[in-house]
Amino acid sequence: MKKEVKKLTKEEKKREKEFEERLKELRKRDPFIYKNF
Amino acid sequence: MIQLGISAFYHDSAACLVIDGQVVAAVEEERFTGIKHDSSFPINAINWCLKYSRVKLSSVDQVCWYENPKLKRHRVLSIFNNHFFRTFFHRINYLFNYNKQNPKKILKKGGFKGEITYTDHHQSHAAFSYYTSKYKDAAIVTIDGVGEWETTTISRVNDKSIEKLLGIDFPNSLGLLYSTITAYLGFKPNEGEYKVMGLAPYGDFTKYTEQLGKLIRHTSNKFYLYQRPFTWEYSNKVMFNKHLCRTLGLLPRLPEEPITQEHRDLAASLQKVYEIEFSRLLRTAKNLTKSSNLCLGGGCAYNGVANALAYKYFDSVHIPFAPSDAGSAIGACLHHYNGDKKDNTNPYLGPDFKDIEVYKSIQKYDKIRSYRLSDDLLIKKVAEIISKQKIVAWFQGKMEFGARALGNRSILAAPQDPKMRDKLNLVVKKREGFRPFAPSVIEEEASTFFDIKEPVPYMNIVVKSKTKKIPSATHIDMSARVQTVNEKQNKKYYLLLKEIKKLTGSPILLNTSFNLKDQTITLTPDQAIERFLNSRIDFLVINNYLIQKV
Repeated sequence: MKKEVKKLTKEEKKREKEFEERLKELRKRDPFIYKNF
Repeated sequence: MIQLGISAFYHDSAACLVIDGQVVAAVEEERFTGIKHDSSFPINAINWCLKYSRVKLSSVDQVCWYENPKLKRHRVLSIFNNHFFRTFFHRINYLFNYNKQNPKKILKKGGFKGEITYTDHHQSHAAFSYYTSKYKDAAIVTIDGVGEWETTTISRVNDKSIEKLLGIDFPNSLGLLYSTITAYLGFKPNEGEYKVMGLAPYGDFTKYTEQLGKLIRHTSNKFYLYQRPFTWEYSNKVMFNKHLCRTLGLLPRLPEEPITQEHRDLAASLQKVYEIEFSRLLRTAKNLTKSSNLCLGGGCAYNGVANALAYKYFDSVHIPFAPSDAGSAIGACLHHYNGDKKDNTNPYLGPDFKDIEVYKSIQKYDKIRSYRLSDDLLIKKVAEIISKQKIVAWFQGKMEFGARALGNRSILAAPQDPKMRDKLNLVVKKREGFRPFAPSVIEEEASTFFDIKEPVPYMNIVVKSKTKKIPSATHIDMSARVQTVNEKQNKKYYLLLKEIKKLTGSPILLNTSFNLKDQTITLTPDQAIERFLNSRIDFLVINNYLIQKV
């Protein structure tokens, strides 16, 4: 069966991009090191 | 039997010395290094404990390590195997550090040739909580980020020993969930959780509870967390990924960004979800143990708002003075002590300074004037100063063990002044304006002012205030993280509270830890004077010296 892929609206795409950029920013800054291991 | 307890290499490193089941000295490493939550080997803390107790390392019978390094390594390497390529460099780093952090090797280098015992992380939490309580029988619930594998345990006391009944393993962790959302809100994990708790009453918990709740599923006694939104298995930096952003539909906050209503709502929702899960665990603990007493342990036991829910299931609740990893140094020792249970309820276990040492410190500074007063006069004078809306740094006797200042390394003020909270937050402690301050009250009058079930000596249960007369020590929802004080526990502080009553009508003081922004709690008289001179604190009291700026 073919898997249905939900198409993102323009607004959702914009939001996705914002999330990605924010995560990139956080990784770059490395603000919090949580000692997990 | 002389035991040296050590907690290290995770967070809140600490050491303690226990003689025949009695804790005689305990201190966190951060107090010496000034690094908050210092995780390094607590060499300064160990040296102080040995020196204070006049014990040589060679005389120590047993070193008690607070967790099981081998079991922890098993967990870490197992999760690395799930993400082999992603964790390749983490693995190399981890194995390099693992060898460097071998307790046996470190202690051997220091000249210790005796026995080293290892106690499971949550067993140490459970032991610290139970053996510092007054109970004979109790249910014990421990919750934190992660130990070796376990993140949550429920135990009961069976014939003086602790029997574990239930354990929940990594990555199913309420502590890690709380820390992740703390990071999402732009605060530092393992430190900023207090800020999230402080922020929560300003928010609407209905906004994100459903989204957060969807991350958790349950069996009859346990909970499981969906891992897709989290990076705990392969990263020790950013704790979440895009999936969490999508779930919440909110941009992660950068620390310098303003706090919006959405952030407040997320904080409120997180607190609500934690309380729901915490209540489930308490119900399970009650069903499994049938005990009417509860001991709480692990870092999550600092969640005073949630802790208050325990009275729904238990008649009496004990939360020790240092429930996070620092206290586990003591827990590991008491777990291996076979004699009768001793009274280990005293939280004042750290360094103190004699008057001659204080005098020498005072002599080093030109910009202060000091007066040495008798106990009676000092208490009268300090009460008078505080009642005139002045801020006093109060440095007395032995330092508290644990995150809370319980009246020996405190900044004190009058809670009746509505402007005092902002003044302390913004001018003295230079921290976020929304963060509340806690009140200290004499034990016998606590129920007059607070909706309290039993004494709360370690300031770790949040209760409702019955009075509107102390606005600077109550939160927006009229809650207060109260500390009850009795004469046996801290005589000088108790007498000060009594004196305050004569002047203000209520035996209550605003009590916050004696430190400035991003600093650890004040350790020495020199440090106390320097901080006093660099802040807008009006008076400093060290032992019986009343000090003012010239």
